[in-house]
This record gives sequence, C-alpha cells and structure tokens, in this order.
Amino acid sequence: MRSTLFPRTTVNSASRDTFGDRRSADRRDLDRYTQQAGLAGCILALGVFFTLKNGNFASHGNLIELLRAATLYFIVACPSTLVLVGGGLDFSVGAVYALGAVSAGLLITHGTPWPIAIVGGAAVGVAVGLINACVTVYLSVPALIATIGSFFFAGGLAVVITNGIDVYGFPDSFTQIGSDSFAGIPYLIFYAVIIGVIFHVVLEKTVFGYSIRAAGGNRSSAAANAIRVARLDMALYATSGGIAALAGILGAARLSTASPSAGGAAFTFQVVTAVIVGGTSLFGGVGTIAGSALGAILFAELNNGLQVINVNPLYQSIFIGIILIAAVAVDQYRRKHRFRIGR
Amino acid sequence: MVEPSARTAELELRGIAKRFGHVTALDGVDLSAYAGQVLAVVGDNGAGKSTLIKIISGVHRPDDGDILLAGEPATFHVPADARRAGVATVFQDLALVEVLDVSTNMFLGQFPRRGWFVSRKAMDAQSRAFLEELKVNISSVKTEVGMLSGGQRQIIAIARAIRTGAHIVLLDEPTAALGVRETAHAKDLIRELRDRGNTVICVSHDINVVFDLADRVQVLRLGRVAGVREIAATTKDEIIALITGALSDQPVETLA
Repeated sequence: MRSTLFPRTTVNSASRDTFGDRRSADRRDLDRYTQQAGLAGCILALGVFFTLKNGNFASHGNLIELLRAATLYFIVACPSTLVLVGGGLDFSVGAVYALGAVSAGLLITHGTPWPIAIVGGAAVGVAVGLINACVTVYLSVPALIATIGSFFFAGGLAVVITNGIDVYGFPDSFTQIGSDSFAGIPYLIFYAVIIGVIFHVVLEKTVFGYSIRAAGGNRSSAAANAIRVARLDMALYATSGGIAALAGILGAARLSTASPSAGGAAFTFQVVTAVIVGGTSLFGGVGTIAGSALGAILFAELNNGLQVINVNPLYQSIFIGIILIAAVAVDQYRRKHRFRIGR
Repeated sequence: MVEPSARTAELELRGIAKRFGHVTALDGVDLSAYAGQVLAVVGDNGAGKSTLIKIISGVHRPDDGDILLAGEPATFHVPADARRAGVATVFQDLALVEVLDVSTNMFLGQFPRRGWFVSRKAMDAQSRAFLEELKVNISSVKTEVGMLSGGQRQIIAIARAIRTGAHIVLLDEPTAALGVRETAHAKDLIRELRDRGNTVICVSHDINVVFDLADRVQVLRLGRVAGVREIAATTKDEIIALITGALSDQPVETLA
C-alpha cells in the first residue's frame, strides 16, 4: 500500500491536489459580504443624494417612515427568500396578502375576537401555500405558473368574499398592533426585526435551513441523499402563504381597513425584486435574509426619496426595473466566474 | 489472501432477474463480492450494468432472485434501506450540491445536530478528520464543491459514501469523466478503500482501469453473466472476448 495518496509536501504551483486553497474559501465569505456591502453602499449613496436635494429626507420622522414602509415588504420577503433559496418561487404573496387581510377582517366584523381572527387569516394563507406546494410537487406544474395561478385564485377569492368592498370597523385593540409605537419606533419595525432574526437563524443554522439550501442547490442530489424535498416544499410554501397573510393583516390593522385590492401584483413584484436584488439567486441554493432586508430598504428608500425630492412617482418603476435587471446580471456573472463546471 | 470461495461473500446476488415491460434487463444474474477486494463489473452498453447497480442500491427491486448481505437475506424497498444496511452507492452524477461547501456535502441529509441546529463545528472537524484519514489533502472544507475539479468531486463523493459507515461501496463509472492524473487519484482512493477492508464493486467501461484496480472481474452481456475471472488469471483479450460475446461461459441457446 502506498504511503500517501496525495503527496502532502510537494505542493506545486498549480496544486489542484489540495482542495480549494484557503484563499478561495475566504473569498467565498468575502464575496457574500461584498455584495451586501455594495448594496449598503448604494443605500447610503442614495441617502446622501436625497439629503443633499432635500434635508428633510434624513429627518428622524422621515427615516422612521421609510423603515416602516419597508417592513411589510421585508416581512414577506423573509419566507420568500427561503422559498427562492429552496429552488422555488412564490408569486401569490400579493394576493394572499389581501386575502389574509379580508379574511381576518371579516372574521372580526362578524364578532370573532381579533386574536383568533388573526390566526384564522393566517391559516387561510397557509392553505393557499399548501395548495401551491401540492400543485408544484404532485402535478409537476412549475412554481412560476402554479403561484401565478393561485395569485389570481386568491385575489379573486378576496374580491368575492367582500363583494369588492373594503372591510372596516375594527376595535382599537386590533388596529393598535399595526399603528402604535414604542419609544417612537412603530411596532411594525419590531415585528420585522424579530421575524428577520428568526428567519436568518432558520436559514443559516438549522437542519431545515441546510436542507433548503441543498434542495435549492441541486434538487436531485438532495433527494438522493435522503433529504425529503417534497416535505420541504410543503413547509416553505405554507410558511410563505402564512406570513404573507399575516403581513396583510398587519397592514389592515395599520390602516384600520382590510381592502381586497391591497397587495396585488405590485406587492408581489416588490417582494420578489427585493429578495433578488438582495443577492438571493433565482436558481436556488444561494441567498441571505440580510440581503433581502437591504433590498427592501433600498426600494423603500427609492420610493420615499423620489417623493421627498419631488420626482414624479411614475419614474420609480423605471429605476426599479433597471436595478432588478442589473442585480440579476451581477448574480449570473458571479456564478459563471465562481464555478469551474457551471450550472 | 484468503481464497474467496472459502469465505462468505459480503454481498451476494442469486438469480437476479429484472424486466421492464417486454425488455429483460437482467436474467439469472449471480454475483459475489468479498471484503478487501475490488470486484469490477464490465459489459457493453445495454448489458445490464446500470440495472444491476440500481438493484444493489435499492433503486429497483428485482423481479426474481435474492440479495444476501454476509449470508443474510436482505430486501431493499428504497435506497435508504440499502444505505442503512451498509451499502453506499456513488452514482455517476455524484449527487453533490455545487453551491454548498465540501463539509456540508459530506453530511448531506445526515447533518450532525444539536436539537434543530446543525453543529457546524462538529461537521467541519469530522469532515476534515475523515478526509485526512483517507489521505486526501485538504486545506479548507469550506470550499464550495462547484469550485473543485471533476476528480476532486469524485473523491468527495466516494469519501461521503464511506463516511456513512458503509462497508460495501458501489461505484458507477468512477473514472469516466476524469483526466489522466485525476483518474490516478481516484484509483488510489479506491485502493485505499479496499485496503481498509471494504467491499468495493466498481462498474466501468475502461478495461485499463479494471485491470489496474480490480481483483476480480465479472462480465455481463445482454443481461446475463458472460463470465467471472480473477484478474491475475485472465487477459484483456479474454475479457474483451467475453464482453463482445466472442467467448461465453453461458450456453448460447438460452438467449431468448
């Protein structure tokens, strides 16, 4: 028997015997953070630009408003990040947002105690998520089509059960959960931070998170290694639906109105765009909650800042479109240059 | 070396048959693999090599015949059954996740846990220790598999197969996609496996690799066993003759 498989001492310059030299491993971490640092840099630069144009942008009140605007997108972006990392896609969130809101709203106006109504509304979202998962897993319908289908389904349902009329007349104890503040900081921001931390830990540290990454990175390999990918999909879409409904309910509490026309396609696109701009790959396996938070803040900033400096809000979509395409182009470029034998 | 016939085979197949509709993929296939030996399975396209692998790894169930592990009958309903019984399979696609690092890939589906959490430290330490034990030189187990060469990926896949505690290792074309130097590395690792007392079954197209590596070679032809030879007592010409059908241990007329 030979003494060594790979000579340890003779490290030649091309050294492909040595697995991934230390530098490339360090670069991996660096890569991950450079993109987020780049995004944070964009947010800062934009902030400086808006402040120079109009000092009110950097006021305490406006920054809180900006963050509050980002929260509902971010809360939904958290499970969406997990879905994308897991190799899926959930376009139904905008409609589930409205359906969750009006379901809980109708329950409240029909006399259900609001804590139970919240659970009921979230359960409707979970149900839509489970339908999404079943359609993709068992009917082999691509996630894009399945969730666009359930987007229309859920959106239609929200209109039908309300006859298209806004639901209002909620008790103060309910509306306060969406509109009150603590120490000058809206509750919504606290919710977003708590949910963000939970999803970050789930994705980065837990067996569930590791399995999501594996399933999204290479579904057949994950399945071949006894990772139950269908069950993962169920959990992911159910969480996505449940949290989207919950966000809709919080939005309704904030505005004291549950509208069947809340959320919608614009909400879906904002959420998915924030996730992708935050560095989560459309092709699965790669993504962070922190990135999605930055993505959501960037869009809230753009939205807010353009209004503060009196730019026609109609221009906003043009910027968002450009940013989205640029972000995905950067993702593609990085993939091509990272992996020797590419996917 | 102990004469194989004097020992119990770690893995034995008896009269295995598998049909897909009207196609008979395997018909009465016997096979014996022993600890501390490399058994090569060779054959032309359509000889039944892939079906045989899938039966041993639990992907397919045979229509007929028995699987014995160390003399005890075994039934594999799903691949997890084979894995639990100590049979690890390295398929040609390797089943690695390119965007994940080496140590995560080593523990895919069996992450060391602390409650709901993955014990990252334990995973990295065990991966490093295990690869070192296999004399695979590694400076970082945190490198993404997608950044490794084909040979390195093959080695990770094989290492993972044995990490799970398997003592029977099934390799599907382990050198098919590799360059000359990488092939040499993979062969060294396979020898290391054998020397550690594992039972290695290696399906290959490459006659040279077979003669370098194997202790015994079993030739399949059209779903049947055309012959089994000790490498020391045969020649490449004889094996090729068995593969092409110019020579056969089977009576010719039994082919339906």
